[in-house]
Amino acid sequence: MDFTFSPEHEALRRMIREFAENEVAPIAAEIDREGRVPFEVLHQMAEMGLLGVCFPQEYGGMGAGEAGYCILMEELGRICTSTATNVGAHIGIGAMTIYLDGNEEQKRKYLTPLARGEKFAAFLLTESDAGSDAAAIRTRAVRDGDHWVINGTKTFNTNGSFADIATVMAVTDPTLGARGGITAFIVETDTPGFEVGRHEDKMGIRGSSTAELVFEDMRVPHENVLGKVGEGFVAFMKSLDMGRLTLGAAGLGGAQAALDWSVQWARTREQFGVPLAQKQSVQWMIADMATEIEALRSLVYRVAWMVDTGQPFTQVAAMCKLYGSEVASRAIDRALQIHGGLGYSRDYPIERAFRDARIAEIFEGTNEIQRIVIASRIFREHGVRISP
Amino acid sequence: MDASFLDLMMAQQEESFEEAEGGGGVWVVADVEGGQIAPVTLEAVGAARTLAESLGAYVYGVLLGHEVTSLADSLYQAGADGVRVGDHPDLDSSVLESRLAVLADLFAEEQPEIILFGANATGAALAPRLAQRMGGGLIEHVTAFSLEESSRAVEAGFPVYGGDYFEIRACPEARPQFLTIEPGAFAKPFLDEYRKGDPTVLDVEPAEPATRVLGPAEGFEAPRVPLSEASVVVAGGRQVGDFALVRRLADRLGAHVAGDRGAWDAGVIDSDQIVDVRGTTVSPDVYVAVGIRGDTFHNAAMESAGFVVAIHPDRDASIFDVADLCVEARPDMVLPAILESLR
Amino acid sequence: MRITVILRRVLDPAGIVAHRRLRRLFINREEYILQPADRCALEVALRIKDAGDAEVVVVSGQPEPSDDTLRRGLAMGADRAIYLCGESFDDADDAVVTSVLKTVIGQLGGADLVLAGATTLDTGQGQLGIRLAEALGWPQIVGVRSVEAKNGRLRAVCQDEEQFVLVESDLPAVVTVCPEAVKPRYADGVRLINVYRGQGEMAESLETWDVGDMMSADELVPLLESRGRDFPPERTLGERVEGTPDEVAQTIADALRQRLRG
Repeated sequence: MDFTFSPEHEALRRMIREFAENEVAPIAAEIDREGRVPFEVLHQMAEMGLLGVCFPQEYGGMGAGEAGYCILMEELGRICTSTATNVGAHIGIGAMTIYLDGNEEQKRKYLTPLARGEKFAAFLLTESDAGSDAAAIRTRAVRDGDHWVINGTKTFNTNGSFADIATVMAVTDPTLGARGGITAFIVETDTPGFEVGRHEDKMGIRGSSTAELVFEDMRVPHENVLGKVGEGFVAFMKSLDMGRLTLGAAGLGGAQAALDWSVQWARTREQFGVPLAQKQSVQWMIADMATEIEALRSLVYRVAWMVDTGQPFTQVAAMCKLYGSEVASRAIDRALQIHGGLGYSRDYPIERAFRDARIAEIFEGTNEIQRIVIASRIFREHGVRISP
Repeated sequence: MDASFLDLMMAQQEESFEEAEGGGGVWVVADVEGGQIAPVTLEAVGAARTLAESLGAYVYGVLLGHEVTSLADSLYQAGADGVRVGDHPDLDSSVLESRLAVLADLFAEEQPEIILFGANATGAALAPRLAQRMGGGLIEHVTAFSLEESSRAVEAGFPVYGGDYFEIRACPEARPQFLTIEPGAFAKPFLDEYRKGDPTVLDVEPAEPATRVLGPAEGFEAPRVPLSEASVVVAGGRQVGDFALVRRLADRLGAHVAGDRGAWDAGVIDSDQIVDVRGTTVSPDVYVAVGIRGDTFHNAAMESAGFVVAIHPDRDASIFDVADLCVEARPDMVLPAILESLR
Repeated sequence: MRITVILRRVLDPAGIVAHRRLRRLFINREEYILQPADRCALEVALRIKDAGDAEVVVVSGQPEPSDDTLRRGLAMGADRAIYLCGESFDDADDAVVTSVLKTVIGQLGGADLVLAGATTLDTGQGQLGIRLAEALGWPQIVGVRSVEAKNGRLRAVCQDEEQFVLVESDLPAVVTVCPEAVKPRYADGVRLINVYRGQGEMAESLETWDVGDMMSADELVPLLESRGRDFPPERTLGERVEGTPDEVAQTIADALRQRLRG
């Protein structure tokens, strides 16, 4: 078993780490405070080819695979969860859906500019009545000649407010439900009938855009149907599976940052005549953090390898998301405790990281859904079917 | 005390002092700064004397420039046994080729054992070129040395990673051995005003300069060094009194101005100048804390500074726990005197 | 126009601890970075290439176990890389490297401009570029901040005491670049992947040359020898400076002057 990263992945990590430390870190607090998306950083990443890291070079991507994408998310997650979220929504679910289910023409027309970062992508699924219960969406697409007319509202959407290209799930046959009644579409957001609604004022990841998107008689050509009519649900589930792995990677980065800050502070801060590092209570917190991070790292990169070698990965990707989000939350919580009052101050990054970490247990499929996915795979092997 | 006896003794020394002949020896290539022999040159002559004594050799100086002949006196006073002077308008420091030509000819004839330069811009440009031309080994930025008697090779130490530790290297066989001496590393030798000599004037054939200085670089702005990467920082606290003194000290030292949170509260610095874990962490070579009490959050943000000077009126101020030199005084009582001494 | 850039690597100081009391060096994290000054030199070369028609060739400036340093140079945008290796090259000092580089440049068919870092992050030695200038018999400009080159001539900005001056030279010439001169670019991602995988248009860009094939062993004898290390004394914190205000001021001023010289 060879657990080493390939030289190109080591080189990629070095480059991204330097970029994240020099270009993203200086603005991380500012974009959180101002609640703005750091387009200047996203454009730089586009120029470096990072916004297409996992897509093949023939489609304008970098060809670094899922391992490369996990490295990108880990290094960004270590510095700024907001930036990682912007990038993750663009690559991991927005463009990824087109890559997984698009035909050749759709890939050339839409995936290439997205991989090159010339355009931004979003993934439109969630609605006010359809969160975990994704199949309960109500956005409707009705066939009209060689077009489809879409009406409906999507909520809690990342990137939708500035994306050029979006993949949208809509109901095409209300009688059929998830199997056969839902279709995925590629839409160009400058098409009339697409409106950006209310922006969410969030607890964390305030450097990312979360908004409501309204479709009002938006006409989408039939050739923009992703995959086959009625098979949209399956297409979306495939994307979400891929996205789960890289969310785990972002959590890994965040947890590592929490550990690094904690170690530095424990070294420096003295109370009762000794540094905190000499206190067992602190040592144990650090040891627990480090152990979980090590386990998460092995999990994330093994799953990346499984994806890159064509093995089934749905269950283990769900584990990455579940474990990654919880490890990150635990780590930043312990880091806050170790830093004490200083960690609570808005002038120190822990407070922001704490607010940013919480969403990971909720979006991209709540951890409850992840547990159901994991359990259902386990029981299926024994002939037991579970319904959510 | 009868001073005339002293004069007689000195006069005897003057007379008995002969101009040393050429061949071998420890040579120092002199620099001129502000119309005087540069301090680093004098330090190099002192270092050369130490080497020469162990080797049983003579110390020579080479002085190249325009209208510099009178400066040869300082070289004798510092300990040179012989001085060669090249005086010519083209031997101005920015024209490399003429100096190189004169030195190459001189050293080809004299065959020094060791040649010392100051580790300044001139030394950096000249020493390697000459070493390459003569097939000698070169060690730059030397801060200490010892002599390996058997091979007559200098074991020279120089700082690594800015002084975290020192590497020692030697040039056992190739001659001459070239060293550039780090300014301030060796003591300035005693200048014996009774030590005199008659410099030998060199024939100078100016060489064609290969590069031309066109003039000031219009509109060129060096990239701004952010506080987090500053190599010298002067930081003032709330208790400084007149913050202008802090700025003047920073100006004199070529340092960045900073402060603690108290200074920011008092409105004398901007928020990007706060040295604090909640602000900017600095790691300069030199940090001067003026009127800063020094709490954990400030101290943690400058703990990796190489050398810390702290001035504060309270003897129990925590800044003194992290400072190399501690001055228990009011800043406005000491700063003016420090500024004066730095002139 | 052909520009040759000398590339070297150095241990990242963030991974090293020099323990004064134990008088030992601890390498906690063995990671290498490009010499910052060499990286600036490559950036300067790439900017000249962006502005006109130039080929940038990167060459090893020191003996190294692998070609990673040169791959980093290729990823940044160099067109060609020459990795020098061979047992006889393993102990090379700056004098030997100079001799090898002179031969390499000859075998490449010459160059119009050679760029190198003006100093090294670890040892602070700036002699390599200048030795090479002498060996080639070319003009040198030392410690530049920026370079423009065209029509057989170059112009560089250098620092002369307190001000910046413009220096001109004919080509070919050797120029050494300051470590903080320019902000080096990040590698292009696609290029980086292709360089490391040896695929696409970067497939043939890295060449390995054995120094033993080009030069004889007695041309490769180093002039310098390592004689060990020394460590500074431990820091003594909390030393109070006593005396009259003038005496105190003098002590402080002397200490500051000492630390800031050089």
